[in-house]
Amino acid sequence: MKFLSLIVKNCLRNRRRSFLTIASLAISLCLLGVMAALYYALFISNVPPKAQARRIVTRHKVSIVFQMPLYYREKIRQVPGVEEVMVWQWYGGVYKDSRDQRNFFARLGVEADKLFKVYQDYVLPEDQKQAFINDPAGCVVNKVLADRHGFKVGDKILIKGDIFPFDLDVTVRGIYTSTDFDDETLWFNFKYFENALRNSSRLAAGTFTMLAKSEADVPHICREVDAMFANSPTPTKTESEYTFGLSFLSFLGNIKVILMVICGAVTFTVLLIAANTMAMSVRERVKEVGVLKTLGFEKRTILWLILGESAVISMVGGLLGVLIAQGLCILIRQGPMIVQQTKTLSIGPPVFAALVGLSALIGVAAAVVPAWNASRSNIIDALRFTD
Amino acid sequence: MSDVVIKTRNLTKEYIRDEFHVVALKDAEIEVHRGDFVALMGPSGSGKSTLLHLVAAMDRPTSGEIEVLGSKLNGLNDGAIARWRNRHVGFVFQSFNLIPVLTALENVELPLKLTHLKKGERMQHAATALKLVGLGDRLGHFPRQLSGGQEQRVAIARAIVTDPDILLCDEPTGNLDAKSAQEVLSLLAKLNKEHGKTVVLVTHDPHAAHYASKVRYIDKGELLPDGTKPEGWN
Repeated sequence: MKFLSLIVKNCLRNRRRSFLTIASLAISLCLLGVMAALYYALFISNVPPKAQARRIVTRHKVSIVFQMPLYYREKIRQVPGVEEVMVWQWYGGVYKDSRDQRNFFARLGVEADKLFKVYQDYVLPEDQKQAFINDPAGCVVNKVLADRHGFKVGDKILIKGDIFPFDLDVTVRGIYTSTDFDDETLWFNFKYFENALRNSSRLAAGTFTMLAKSEADVPHICREVDAMFANSPTPTKTESEYTFGLSFLSFLGNIKVILMVICGAVTFTVLLIAANTMAMSVRERVKEVGVLKTLGFEKRTILWLILGESAVISMVGGLLGVLIAQGLCILIRQGPMIVQQTKTLSIGPPVFAALVGLSALIGVAAAVVPAWNASRSNIIDALRFTD
Repeated sequence: MSDVVIKTRNLTKEYIRDEFHVVALKDAEIEVHRGDFVALMGPSGSGKSTLLHLVAAMDRPTSGEIEVLGSKLNGLNDGAIARWRNRHVGFVFQSFNLIPVLTALENVELPLKLTHLKKGERMQHAATALKLVGLGDRLGHFPRQLSGGQEQRVAIARAIVTDPDILLCDEPTGNLDAKSAQEVLSLLAKLNKEHGKTVVLVTHDPHAAHYASKVRYIDKGELLPDGTKPEGWN
């Protein structure tokens, strides 16, 4: 600790260079921070909200774009451990102007009488629930979505059909919140589909969502449902709703690899920046190293002084970057939902610790070579050194 | 402990610079006694500083023996030499070599950071050393805010703050004007006479040598016998 003041003073020796190094580290660590938070949220934390933990989704084994016969619902209901099962169908469509990202939100047809049994975390007044269930052209919307677009109970919403050959003209019957997670979804009554597609082969189920009696039932329900339809013309893939949500990411490619490549590239670039700075900084002070050795400083003390200086600069940059990254996470949370994990994106304690640790490691790694050379330098050569 | 603080036998230092073989010091034998003020004189490149560096264990001899304060330096490893130097030797450079980002007080405190003293004690010792060299009113000044003479006095304070037995000075007046040089030499003489420090001064300034109790000459790497001067040297 008695050398800390010396380390800090050396960090402030060339303020402009230190500031620029810290700034470049902060920007890089900020990018790394957001990527790491995303990676952690998507692939490591993997803990679904409480109510969601009991929900299971069954879809066509090949792709979600293929539908399944509606009678599967009754077969699935027979599987032990299934408390409730409901049909929902992706509608798609265009709301106002599709070029505006804010107009993109999930529009799903659902069996209205079952929605609140399966989604027990939804909160809305009982009269609004009943109004939705009783209105074949009714819908409920999440409050975050309603606030964004100014939807109120009784409003008409018109969505132009693109996947299906009819437009959606629904009335807002309720606005719900969630005790777990605001999904920014518009749910409309599945009867709308039934009426619009009467006698059409397209009247089918996009997915089935089940509520298991307990979390422990989820794995065996998934296995049994898929086994039941394994040899049918329409095989299924059943997984937890949380995992199902993550599968949408695969449309973007191998996100895991993309994130890791970006993180690796950023880390390597930051390492080069820091190494360049430390090499310059140490080179300017070769003579001083000779003086310190003359005063009795040992090799290892010199080594730690330089490594410490680099680590301090790197950690200051890292901390600053993490703070900026946290700000960016807040911004991302307020933007349109891509996957549900982005709505809770944050630099949590594990990511924070990893980033600060990484920045310290970058600092130490960047200075290893110059620090080692300086600590091993001959006193006389160091004192005679002229740049 | 013997009265002899520095004793060398057949001390030789050779360098290889590119394809050239340079003999910087050849078979040097010298004895310095406790309380001596010895001036090492000679022309540039004669080997004065090399001898001083070997005595301070800043460099290793090619051959020969060197014993300082009873310690045979040849046998010590780098860490032991660094600790020994911190405890027993104060070194004053020609170009002061203060750390620019530290104040005078912090510069003088620097060697004490390697001791077990607490911060308060270190600061107190450093302030005392600075008062001793007449800079008690410049504790918070940075090197750039001091004159050359003042900088050298800070460097001397840094050299004596650990209360070393030997002060080794490598042309300490080389970068100073006449008045400042005289002040620095007077200070070294005072430290020798009043505080009993053994001083070895490398210089090619005959005026500086007047402050010494003994003068030895070096020429072309050879330490001349006591009382002998190089040819053409007045």
